[in-house]
Amino acid sequence: MSVLRTARVVFRKDVRVELRSFEIVATTGVFALLVAVLASLAFYLDPARARSLAPGVVWIAIAFAGVLAMGRSWAREREGDAFRMLLLAPVPRAGIFLGKSLASFVFAAAIEVVLVPFVGVLFHVDLVPLALPLVAILALGTLGFVLTGTLFSALSVKSTARDLMLSIVIFPLVTPALLCAVIATRELFAGAPLIELLDWLKLLAAYDVTMVTLGAWLFGALVSD
Amino acid sequence: MRPGMVDFETVEATGLTKTFGATRAIAGVSLTLRVGELTFVEGHNGSGKSTLLALLANLIRPTRGSIRYGAHDADAARGRIGVLSHSPMLYPDLTGRENLALTAELYALSPDAVAAPIDALELRTFVDRPVRTYSRGQLQRTSLARALIPAPRLLLLDEPSTGLDAQSVASLVTALGTLRDAGTIVLVVTHDRELIRSVGGRHLRMERGRMLDEATP
Repeated sequence: MSVLRTARVVFRKDVRVELRSFEIVATTGVFALLVAVLASLAFYLDPARARSLAPGVVWIAIAFAGVLAMGRSWAREREGDAFRMLLLAPVPRAGIFLGKSLASFVFAAAIEVVLVPFVGVLFHVDLVPLALPLVAILALGTLGFVLTGTLFSALSVKSTARDLMLSIVIFPLVTPALLCAVIATRELFAGAPLIELLDWLKLLAAYDVTMVTLGAWLFGALVSD
Repeated sequence: MRPGMVDFETVEATGLTKTFGATRAIAGVSLTLRVGELTFVEGHNGSGKSTLLALLANLIRPTRGSIRYGAHDADAARGRIGVLSHSPMLYPDLTGRENLALTAELYALSPDAVAAPIDALELRTFVDRPVRTYSRGQLQRTSLARALIPAPRLLLLDEPSTGLDAQSVASLVTALGTLRDAGTIVLVVTHDRELIRSVGGRHLRMERGRMLDEATP
């Protein structure tokens, strides 16, 4: 079976499981909104300064909720040793990696659709004129985050210190993508034109390409004994 | 056989050793399994039976030694191996039918491929319920159906009679005989001497990671 077809099968499986309960999107989404509310209460000073806090709040909420979401997604794979169903099948490991990454991306995007406008309201940022570049930054930043998260979450299938290791490993590795995403969002909210954001978008895209390549290459080794 | 799938008539393990840290689970095991042969492996807990099964299933790699599936290596043979393990390897939030359909998809089979195992193992009454709601016996039967979906040449079963009632064990005995006669290489890891006596076949014993001489049940 091809990598893309395998990815599609794994993606559909993850989405189907999530649609049964909305457990990942609902719990991590509420958590992300709570982070935004607490930040707005703790840091709010005035509309002008609130606007400068918004990028950090968005990405902190995404990062924390993202780690929770991926932890839960992989807990589903561990339950009943279900992940071995995928490992036993004659499918490319890279396809499993891509399918799980894509599903995590969709779950994160579903959370961001609510989170980002919510932060916009709390921190007085009019997002409508910023929509296109903001979507690009969010998409590239989130993709980098979930690719890194999926690659190293696979280790959690074998490790006993799963969630601890996940957080410890993911955050340092995803730092380049988070830094680029936060700075690009900050510049965008400060009124920078799209042309000034292009370098950050290119860096994010380069990070994503690197992680897709690394993930497709390393995932099989990480999930094998 | 599906187009593009490899076939083999023997499985030959040579000098298999598997260590986990300082623990040696398997020590220099050599074994040949042949088509149409049913082999039972018996042994105490911790004797290395399940590790041997995981090695043959290509779920873990040997520390030393090799396994050949006819002329093929483990990666090429993966599509012809069915495994029933201690854990069901099913997604609890999906129904039994969805799990079986997912297995069929992963093996590039038509969705119709799930019908025969559902009928053969009499899953119809519960197969459309989420796996999370299954009893131990229902889980075991659904898991066996998952293992049978790719029409495996090598079928590896770890304690297949666990959790089954007398009627299901009788069905299992019949199914094992049918699979053997159909040319499947079957390896069963079990403590269940009654199952060994009922089905009959080659009987091996393991102790402390080593394969002892062939035993009489």
